[in-house]
Amino acid sequence: MNFKHKFVFLFPGLFVLIGILIFPIIFTIRLSLSGWNSYTPEMNFIGITNYIRLFTDDPRFWESFFRLSFLSVTTVILQYIIGFALALMVWREIKFKRFFRVIFLIPMMTTPVIMTVIWRTFFHESLGPLNDLLGRVGVEPILWLSDPVIAKFTVIIVEVWQWTPFMFLLLLAGLLSLPKEPFLAAAIDGASPFRKFVYVTFPLMAPISIGAIIIRLIEASKIMDTVFVLTSGGPGTSTETSSFYIYIKGLREFQMGYAATLSFTYLVIMIISLTIIAKVLTKLMIKE
Amino acid sequence: MAKIQLSNISHSYNPNELSPTYALNPFSMTWENGKRYAILGPSGCGKTTMLNIVSGLVKPTKGKILFDDIDVTNLITEQRNIAQVFQFPVIYNTMTVYDNLAFPLKCRNFSKEKIDERVNSVSDTLKLSSFLNYPARKLTADQKQLISLGRGLVREDVAGVLMDEPLTVIDPDLKFRLRRSLKEINEQYKTTLVYVTHDQNEAMTFADNIIVMDQGEIVQVGLPKDLFERPKTTFVGYFIGSPAMNLFETEIVSSNEVNIGSIKIKTNTDLSKVKNKNIKLGIRSEFIDIADNQSNNTIKVKINRIEDFGNFKLLTSTIQNKMIKSKIDREKPISEGEVNLYIPPEKCCVYVDEKLI
Repeated sequence: MNFKHKFVFLFPGLFVLIGILIFPIIFTIRLSLSGWNSYTPEMNFIGITNYIRLFTDDPRFWESFFRLSFLSVTTVILQYIIGFALALMVWREIKFKRFFRVIFLIPMMTTPVIMTVIWRTFFHESLGPLNDLLGRVGVEPILWLSDPVIAKFTVIIVEVWQWTPFMFLLLLAGLLSLPKEPFLAAAIDGASPFRKFVYVTFPLMAPISIGAIIIRLIEASKIMDTVFVLTSGGPGTSTETSSFYIYIKGLREFQMGYAATLSFTYLVIMIISLTIIAKVLTKLMIKE
Repeated sequence: MAKIQLSNISHSYNPNELSPTYALNPFSMTWENGKRYAILGPSGCGKTTMLNIVSGLVKPTKGKILFDDIDVTNLITEQRNIAQVFQFPVIYNTMTVYDNLAFPLKCRNFSKEKIDERVNSVSDTLKLSSFLNYPARKLTADQKQLISLGRGLVREDVAGVLMDEPLTVIDPDLKFRLRRSLKEINEQYKTTLVYVTHDQNEAMTFADNIIVMDQGEIVQVGLPKDLFERPKTTFVGYFIGSPAMNLFETEIVSSNEVNIGSIKIKTNTDLSKVKNKNIKLGIRSEFIDIADNQSNNTIKVKINRIEDFGNFKLLTSTIQNKMIKSKIDREKPISEGEVNLYIPPEKCCVYVDEKLI
């Protein structure tokens, strides 16, 4: 077949790919090399000035990035552990299995912003029910949203609650697709439930686990709505994440050129770090 | 090792329905200590169900299982001390070959010295000694299957080793060698080996006794020779042997003669008391030979085709619209068109209502 004919067939796909993926990235790169802001909203070329500013004069971005790393890694680890435990619980034949499976999925089906508003009310330090309940058992009120350290853990709690069901769903699907024979063989060998988990379930689940962890890490590193509604990055900047900081620079201060620089740098760092994480996880969990 | 008795065992996967269907119809059987058994039958005949009942992975709907006269029907798999090898190799990927072999003993809290001794002994037998420190996942499919088998053999007191089509993933040459290894292992350890297969050659070359099953029924238990020469039902005659036994619908002519069309065939069976109408004559293609001229028990057939299999020729011919297959010595000349075939009376099997008389 003539090469040109192939190109005709490829064109619709390529057009969509260029339109939705390549063009925005190229546009972002070009924007990052401009000084577009609310005073000069134009694509004036200023070279790598924005990048010099980012790497020499913006510790706030790097702080937000390391904070984001901590929040996303912690939430995903917790989601994995809890999600795996719940999936194991409803994997085997137990009473009300279907009921539990549905119950565990409810948080994922709710709207994050709405649920975060409810969580904010729940954690409210003077009016919220949580401190009220703790007060009844003699516990001093806890500064859930206004202590710089505790606020981070409050964000983690809400994120874990919201997204553990997603991890649960992936891991349960993985467990249900596992072959029976290795478990039968382990039973015949006389393995205890603990040994069965360590030597059969966990190794068999490794590829699915890596997939689930990577998907959740990608999602968790974009954390924005929870922080926005729950703490607005505060107190101070103690819960500010990269995406929230980029949002401030771009849509509050209208430094579009600089926000594009932050976005592109963030994208490159995420691609590199997720690739490394995927390789490390594969090496640790799948022994080929 | 143990004597395994299956007493009035039957099993249904839907026992609570109004009309349950039975994967295994009631039967009783004893597997003697240290013997080799093959369970042979087509897919879905209940072979694996029978094996899983013995290993405890399936609880029978009715009946009892006894190991050395002790009722183990209600014991779970772990408590039965049985070994089972599955169709596809099951190994612990994260472990070395040594750790794989040692695993059942570690689970049973054996001492390190005992584990070393048993693992070394079994790995010697299975020729895995040089791989003991290798990660098990890096071995080939047949070596992995040997590890699966080895995990069963490391336990000296194991009641029996059950194998569910264990050589499916192995290439034909290795299959032959592994079957020989299994026989040697049986002779060395006096392990009761039960081998499930749908491959008659595997069953014939491996077992002391073959159990032929069909649709949840045990249709014949016997030595490979008996199954081949005197199949108890037309199903066994058809299922065992390649090509299948020649079967002809026939009628009784005299106290020891039946007919194929207008030709009388003498048999060594006493037919004087047979009154039924559903009568079949069975004869193996291996026992039919070319006759130089027409005499008693010869039939003139029209040759359809001759296939050369290297060590023999398969002659497919017809007589009065009935097909007959015969294995002929490859050096023997076969004339074109028509040929006389001799049917030895002593090799004829007569079936009444599909059962041998």
